[in-house]
Amino acid sequence: MTAALAVTRPKPSTFAQWWVLTTRLVGPSVRNGEVLLSVGSTVIFTAGWYVPLNHIMGARSGMSSYAQFLMPLIALQGIAFASEAGALRASSDAVTGINRRFKSMPIGMLTPLVARTSTSVYRCVIGTAAALVCGYVIGFRFHRGLECAVAFCAFLLLIGVVLSYLADVIGTTSKNPEATTQWLLMPQVIFGLLSVGIQPAEHFPHWIQPVVRNQPISQFVYVLRALAGDTTPGAGSLTWSVGAPSLAWIAGAITITVPLSAVLLLRRP
Amino acid sequence: MRVADQDMKADMKRGSAVLREDAFPMVDRRFGENSLRLLGPHTWVQTQRLLVRLVRDPLTFVFGLILPICFLVVLNVVLGDAIRSVTGHSALHGSVPLVTLVGAMSGASVAAVGIITERADGLLARLWVVPVHRASGLLARIGSEAVRVVANSFFILCAGMVLGLRFNHGALASLAWLCLPAMFGIAFATLVLTVALYWPSTILVEAIATVEYLGLFFCTGFVPLDQYPHWIQPVVQHQPLSYAVEAMRGLSLGGSVLRPALATLLWSAGIAVGCAIPMVVGYRRASMRG
Repeated sequence: MTAALAVTRPKPSTFAQWWVLTTRLVGPSVRNGEVLLSVGSTVIFTAGWYVPLNHIMGARSGMSSYAQFLMPLIALQGIAFASEAGALRASSDAVTGINRRFKSMPIGMLTPLVARTSTSVYRCVIGTAAALVCGYVIGFRFHRGLECAVAFCAFLLLIGVVLSYLADVIGTTSKNPEATTQWLLMPQVIFGLLSVGIQPAEHFPHWIQPVVRNQPISQFVYVLRALAGDTTPGAGSLTWSVGAPSLAWIAGAITITVPLSAVLLLRRP
Repeated sequence: MRVADQDMKADMKRGSAVLREDAFPMVDRRFGENSLRLLGPHTWVQTQRLLVRLVRDPLTFVFGLILPICFLVVLNVVLGDAIRSVTGHSALHGSVPLVTLVGAMSGASVAAVGIITERADGLLARLWVVPVHRASGLLARIGSEAVRVVANSFFILCAGMVLGLRFNHGALASLAWLCLPAMFGIAFATLVLTVALYWPSTILVEAIATVEYLGLFFCTGFVPLDQYPHWIQPVVQHQPLSYAVEAMRGLSLGGSVLRPALATLLWSAGIAVGCAIPMVVGYRRASMRG
């Protein structure tokens, strides 16, 4: 009897475990239509905002073209779809009990969480690429050089990872994987419409302007628009007063969601 | 039937004291399980079941009512002025119909989720082995969807009237107005049920939502037809949502009603007829294989 206890337990490498858990999430995403759907949604939403609104809103935008004006919103939608796919996955994992199973195995406490984060980065890279391609097709261009273009993508990825944590928390707590995506999609459209990504804040009714200006999507749009630049001065300049509110929103979201998702993953049911 | 009776009497004679004959409910089996006379009552029982489930599920209200009404308010705030300045009348004549149709469509995914989970739980298979009319399950699903869409559209119409929508042709027109989303909702429900029976996946709901938004963005209720580029105008003009919106706009504002209403009917009938046979085959297969 004691011989069984004396057998040395295998010491799996944390890196290999992280890799296995990441490929578990990344692998099926290509086959089960997850990637296809998030890229498809980005294409549909790009066409859906640009084609109907180009004529009616283009003249009000105050920039060289409506595509240039709309691009930050398209980019944000792209990473939002990416994080929604993550929410769906987190919800299925929670419901089918794989999270509980992992807890009973010799895996480092934070390894599943790190694996999920790296999968979110992968999804957000695809989302960003899809959004940039869509933007280029409708006529968006970077005007401030390579550094700003890289900063644009990096900022977008940062928002994407934070959003993914948020989606993870929503997905893990929701007991209904099918409903999760709908929970996230309609608010996304509502907040997208109610942001400066669609039209400048001056064109909204007065009573709602403070909300429109200060909600996080608008703040992100201001930063992304400044990073992308424009041939006209309408894009705004890159100053601390433009960037600080966005960074504050991101910092706030991280301080809430990261501990929360760690607690959700680590708690005992 | 008679054989069973005799068996039971034989049991009694042998002195089986545990179960008395009158403890068994006598089932009325005058008609076969697929008799037309049973179709009505069986469909009614199942419709009631689905409606009770719908009413008890908070998601029905969130997807069907709260989010669409928020969407309507935001749509009115953001695009209302621009559309009024282009067309000369309130954007609500187009956006309220659009939102009722979106509500009908996004609620349909709740029904799709319902049939997927009931299949996985084995309820469909269970119903298949008890003497229930074979058609009642599907008819009840479509019937409960129709009831939900009418109720939904009524509340969204009330929200629209609070925002300022008025009917220029009286109350009768508003009753006819409610029929159009019901018609389209039934057709869309058959489509969604058919897809759900063949592709029971969690991604399905997201795919439905994507189709729904494609319809929403390219619809005359979102932005007037002449605001779209020329090359896409024929598509926008002839898609089912636009026809339904035009018919409903005609009923509230005035203008042609008959032609777009007939086109909506044709689209809905086309979708429903096209899906009917695959849906029945899929339902049978889903019920028999569990």
